[in-house]
Amino acid sequence: MADEKLLNEETEEEKDIFYKRASVDLTPENAKFTASKGGLISLELTHPDGKKEFFERIVAIRAFPITDPDFYISIREPDGKNKEKGSEIGLIEDIHIFDAETVKLLNSELDRRYFTPKIQKVVSLKEKLGQNYWEVVTDAGDFSFVIRNSGSNIRTLEDGRVLLFDIDGNCFEISDPEKLDKASFKKIEIYL
Amino acid sequence: MLPVNQPSSSLLAALEKENVTEKDLLCVLNLDLNKDGTFGSSALALDSTHRRLYYYQESSDELSSYSLDILRDPYIDNFTSTNRILGMLHESDDENSPAITEIIGYCTNSCKRRLFTFITIWERFQKGNIVQENDPIFEQFNAKCPKCGTVYADQDVRVCEKCNKRKGMIIRLLSYFKPFKLQLITVLFCMVMSSCLSLLTPIVSGQILFDQVISEATYDANGVQLTGKMHEEKYVFIMVGVLVGMAVFSLFIGILQNRANAHMSTRVTKTMKNDIFRAMCGMSLAYFNKNPTGRLINRVNYDAVKIRNFYIDGVPHLIVNVLNFIGLTIFLFIINWKLTLIVFIPVPIIVIIFKTMLPKLWRAYTKEWHRSSSLNAMLGDSLNGVRVVKAFAKEAEETNRFYYYSGKLYDAHLRTHMVSILIFPIVGLLIGMSSTAIWGFGGIEVMGNRMTYGELTTYLGYIGMIFGPLNFFTTFTNLLTDTINSAERMFEILDMIPEITDAQEPVHLDSVKGEIVFNNVCFHYTPNRPILKDVSFTIHEGDHVGLVGHTGSGKSTIANLITRMYDVITGSITIDGVDIKNIELQSLRRNIAIVSQEIFIFRGTIADNIRYARPDATMAEVIEAAKAANAHDFILNLPEGYETPVGIGSRSLSGGERQRISIARALLLRPSLLILDEATAAMDTETERLISEAIEKLVKGKTTISIAHRLSTLKNCNWLMAIENGEIAEMGTAEELLEKKGVYYKLYTLQNEQMKKVIEGK
Repeated sequence: MADEKLLNEETEEEKDIFYKRASVDLTPENAKFTASKGGLISLELTHPDGKKEFFERIVAIRAFPITDPDFYISIREPDGKNKEKGSEIGLIEDIHIFDAETVKLLNSELDRRYFTPKIQKVVSLKEKLGQNYWEVVTDAGDFSFVIRNSGSNIRTLEDGRVLLFDIDGNCFEISDPEKLDKASFKKIEIYL
Repeated sequence: MLPVNQPSSSLLAALEKENVTEKDLLCVLNLDLNKDGTFGSSALALDSTHRRLYYYQESSDELSSYSLDILRDPYIDNFTSTNRILGMLHESDDENSPAITEIIGYCTNSCKRRLFTFITIWERFQKGNIVQENDPIFEQFNAKCPKCGTVYADQDVRVCEKCNKRKGMIIRLLSYFKPFKLQLITVLFCMVMSSCLSLLTPIVSGQILFDQVISEATYDANGVQLTGKMHEEKYVFIMVGVLVGMAVFSLFIGILQNRANAHMSTRVTKTMKNDIFRAMCGMSLAYFNKNPTGRLINRVNYDAVKIRNFYIDGVPHLIVNVLNFIGLTIFLFIINWKLTLIVFIPVPIIVIIFKTMLPKLWRAYTKEWHRSSSLNAMLGDSLNGVRVVKAFAKEAEETNRFYYYSGKLYDAHLRTHMVSILIFPIVGLLIGMSSTAIWGFGGIEVMGNRMTYGELTTYLGYIGMIFGPLNFFTTFTNLLTDTINSAERMFEILDMIPEITDAQEPVHLDSVKGEIVFNNVCFHYTPNRPILKDVSFTIHEGDHVGLVGHTGSGKSTIANLITRMYDVITGSITIDGVDIKNIELQSLRRNIAIVSQEIFIFRGTIADNIRYARPDATMAEVIEAAKAANAHDFILNLPEGYETPVGIGSRSLSGGERQRISIARALLLRPSLLILDEATAAMDTETERLISEAIEKLVKGKTTISIAHRLSTLKNCNWLMAIENGEIAEMGTAEELLEKKGVYYKLYTLQNEQMKKVIEGK
């Protein structure tokens, strides 16, 4: 069959088609993160053979964003123009092996990605038609949001933190409900 | 200007300085985050006249501007709860010049639907297409209540706040009781009667039996007889008889009331449950994806019961307690107002205790409830997954997990008991103390002849009764909020407008020829994550088309859109030249049979399952369909043939057997259009070949769409379509696609490679 011929011929080209990047452990030795011109993060990766590869923009993702934000951070290529998924360049096992400046750079980007304002004060909390209307003061400013199904969308973690998810999918945190002012605590008490 | 957002006055003022007027703007998007990651208003404006994009931040009154010839390829970086808008900033207006990624702005997920729309408009504008104002793209955040025209607050849960007022809810619930006027009147009458009886009993036993019958005659200073008016033996019997009679009478009233109630309540619950289920069945698929089945089952089962309880137990008790409380207070004051004042001293204390302690108890109960439901969830989880548990020898761990959860439940249980043990004895003590005090103060009154002994016993009887209503009132508010929550959930379902409904005057199709056309279809399940991007193709009558592509590339979505399980975001789909939005849903789905990846076998016999779509099919037809699906033989090998019960709790079928039954089910419908979505994936190649040949014969001349990973499944197709990343990567016959060396070629080589390895024994 003609197809069989095709099959046997395609070796170099095939490699190209089926190529998938192998993920490496990223350390200060082989990875250099810098701020890009547009305010994002660029990476210069040194391969074991000494070859250098430059990424204008990388995407950083936390593997355990809730319990262990500083460990296992995946550094990936951005998704392509047509939304084909970018593959992993490498994994940072512990962010602290990098110098303070890099940690700051990565964390500022990561904090953006996992934007979770910490609620400092509950100004008002009203219930209407099964929805809770919250007005809060957070460390990122004042905001109001709506929570439905407070049973499943207000989650108390084992370490005492409380995560709230609103109807749009935004996430908020109360670091320690007991440390809120009395009036705020009283408002949220029944939902905990 | 396109209806995305209204520009704020400060934005317009800032634009005016740049000599840009509102008329120049194509659309405006308001963002809720500043560039530094704090909450604040900012906005993006697309200027079609000058071909520019403006970013304006209100807090700093800064306006930055980009030329759209340099800033290209807008892209939404979808974060956990925020979105970042990026664009490629080129060095010159040449598309291929070097570029850096530029941050344009940030917003939370609250803006994401509008953001997606804004970016789409921008992309189209760059391609030279202007989005029209009536484009369906605006519907995803502008869906309006058909009754009053208000835009829904929550676009996913389409309940109009204006049309559903909370106050109206209690009244609306009452409408369920409308057919039971007679029963309602009976219940009310019984309640008033029993309230009167309970108020009268202490008077009969105290003031009449004791004072007038048992006590000897006494007179006051003016010679008026006070007690012993009926100091004769026969009156003792009469009075005891009256008391017994009253007890019997109140028993009968109780029975009557409960019977009327039982009648009414069961019927009301039935109607509510029926209504909820009917409304639920009308919902679109998206609704079921968003709501876990368990929660929906809860709604049907518990919410109706909760509401019923409120009207059956809550409301009558409220009325009885209010009547009793008023009556008691009046009687107490009439008998001896000074004593009553003493009685009421502990009342505020008790109310305070209830008010402060009961919430604690409720919280403890809620905790207990949560813990018992997580224990149940854990139990269900590990029992359902018992095969895995055993396979990995995790019995001990599962047992420990159970111990952990049951331990937690034990703690919560203990706590509720501890709290309730604390509250009620304290209250009991207070009540006991005040009664004892009444004995003391009352005794002095009796000795001073200001009160008879019978009055004192009557009085004490009333005291015992007054704390009941107090207790009830404090718990009633909780019952009320609970009910309102249930009612809200119920009405939410009843009032929700399904996302997919028939058009005003739908076209009825008796039969479908089977020409399917996709015109620039875009679709996503969640905004920002496009599944289909501008997909256009035509399937002619009688074509057998194969869809190939990776998992998640959008193949099944195409099937879902043809059957109108979801509506397209933009673009349109026509069948035989009619937009499917205008085709009557029933007739559309009657004409299309789909065998999907997710197979569901209902509880019932195999024949019932095959006949599901056409219950009137004859036995001969069922057998014919089963034969075509190559299911006939395996069915006959089952003990009860076509009458073998299947489904949860009965005989379990293998994956391939289930697939064959669902193919038979689809074939029995005699569809004009057949969609096979991985319908033979769980079968061996031999069976697959047999089935596809049988299907080929049955659907000859009818449009068929096959979706598959395994290319051998698609060998009967006239032509193929390869989907990748939500776009049609290539189209043509198998040979043509192999030539192109694209997606199809890749799949083909990979599968061949595997085969080769198998043959070579590597």
